[in-house]
Amino acid sequence: MTREEFTIEGALGTPLFLPWVERHAARLGVGMRLRDSAPERLAVEFEGAPALLDAMEMGCLLGPIDAWVETVVRKRIPGA
Amino acid sequence: MSELGAMRDQWYPVAMTKQLTAQGRDTLLMGAPIRVFADDGGTPKVTDGAGRALPVIDRFGHVWTSLGQPEKDLFTIPEVDQPGRRLVDVGVCRVRCSPLRAVENFLDIAHFPFVHTDILGSEPHTEVERYEVEIRDDVDEVWATKVKFFQPQAAKSAEGGITTDYMYRVCAPTCSVLYKTCPPKPEEWDVIALFVQPLTETLCDVWPYMALYDDDAEMTDLIHFQQMIFVQDRSVLENQLPALLPLDPGREIPTRADMTSIAYRRWLKRHGFTYGAQLVAA
Amino acid sequence: MIESDAPVTLDDSGDTVPTDWTPAALSDDIPAASAAPGQLGAHDLAIWRSASGRIAAWADRCPHRGMRLSHGFVRGERLSCIYHGWGYGEGGRCVRIPAHPELAPPEAIRVPVFSAAEASGVIWVAEDAPDSPPPEFPGLAAFRSLQVAAAPEAVAAALGGTGTVIEATLAGLSVVALIQPLRDGAAGLHLLAPEDSDPAALDALSAAVEALRRRVEAAEEAAA
Repeated sequence: MTREEFTIEGALGTPLFLPWVERHAARLGVGMRLRDSAPERLAVEFEGAPALLDAMEMGCLLGPIDAWVETVVRKRIPGA
Repeated sequence: MSELGAMRDQWYPVAMTKQLTAQGRDTLLMGAPIRVFADDGGTPKVTDGAGRALPVIDRFGHVWTSLGQPEKDLFTIPEVDQPGRRLVDVGVCRVRCSPLRAVENFLDIAHFPFVHTDILGSEPHTEVERYEVEIRDDVDEVWATKVKFFQPQAAKSAEGGITTDYMYRVCAPTCSVLYKTCPPKPEEWDVIALFVQPLTETLCDVWPYMALYDDDAEMTDLIHFQQMIFVQDRSVLENQLPALLPLDPGREIPTRADMTSIAYRRWLKRHGFTYGAQLVAA
Repeated sequence: MIESDAPVTLDDSGDTVPTDWTPAALSDDIPAASAAPGQLGAHDLAIWRSASGRIAAWADRCPHRGMRLSHGFVRGERLSCIYHGWGYGEGGRCVRIPAHPELAPPEAIRVPVFSAAEASGVIWVAEDAPDSPPPEFPGLAAFRSLQVAAAPEAVAAALGGTGTVIEATLAGLSVVALIQPLRDGAAGLHLLAPEDSDPAALDALSAAVEALRRRVEAAEEAAA
């Protein structure tokens, strides 16, 4: 298990974006905790196998149609 | 015409130049009937359903046209002009799928062991190693580089398998070029392109095109090989749900091995290239 | 939700209620280690049999990139997608992602699963887990399946009955016809014949049911 903080930036100004991320994490069996949420920026902590965190990044990069994700920056949370 | 969106002003392949006749080829471009023919001087012409002349480019052995007014010239493939390469017009393969799905499949290596078994891949060599993907803003193209995959038989002359290197570029919404290890000339890349003509949102004509350093193979063998590969792909492409390419992956599970697919879909989304795409997960 | 074209039968009070099971295929048509497409109402199914003989009915769509699982391949007790080889086992759970061989796929990645059971050589499917097993027909054996380009009700009526299970006499044989609603106004007709029928009688039965199909389809076409 690896824990990482994802900083997702872009035009996320849709109320559907966060639920979309939550649903996708559930479909991957990835643990999720919201750190910070703003229209242009979302900080989320994910926990799961490294390949599943990669998959989480792939999903978020495309996201729902009414959001545009510019970047996903990942930071390892040590001690996990 | 509004549903064509930004794809209206792009270039699309609509015929093989050397197959053109005065009588011409009646075909479709994004639902619109068009005719492709050679005029009295042998020059390719394209007209729409009302007989109006459409813009024409004759390049890479194919005739290209557009329903709109393309701002940019058609992309180039500089390798095509290198001396010693054999240029192969493979012909046409009709596929009942979204033109965008045909391109996405071309960008995918993870299916080689299962769809092109013992040709482009084989079990247990199924792992997709990390590779790099970027959108090159200067040329507005998607590029995947440092792609490696085990190929059981790299060429007719090759004994046993080798790890083959690939690079992929998406240079138009329905066109992709791949560069792969060239066994007879290790310092060069073989070039294989996929030009897709969108007939409708769920039907396309695929025109593969190659520029190879291969002095030995018969031209018909090269053509048959590529056609066989594409027939194998077709059985997958015609059985994906939904028929349109989803731009929201909410009902899919893309992994790191799908990074080129994701970059391609992001690029389509950013440009509003949505003919053949599904906007909402379904 | 009950599909409007779901098969119906009569309950004790005489009201129409959905049957628990829908006939989807004959057991012999899906041998060990193979998969085939099927339907249940609006759902596309991948009906497959493991190497050891277990039958299963799953959603016909790989969760990875939407490829139909009915085109997949069976090894042992797993069904794998033909596109990228993702393998699924018990309960539709993903057990293998070949592009990432080190990854133990999480329980969350699953193919939606339907109920499937066999009785008298017929594969029955259901959306939920029915309380009772599908019906047995002692003395009868599954004979053949046909698709008819006509409404299920029209096929049932031509056989002199209504609903899903119809007892009829065809070519002098006492048979049971199972009617499956298919999409686009078509019907599946799964026929059971007496176990001890001789080959000539079965040939005659085949001819009779094909004639019935032609008749029903012609009537449907004339009405359209």
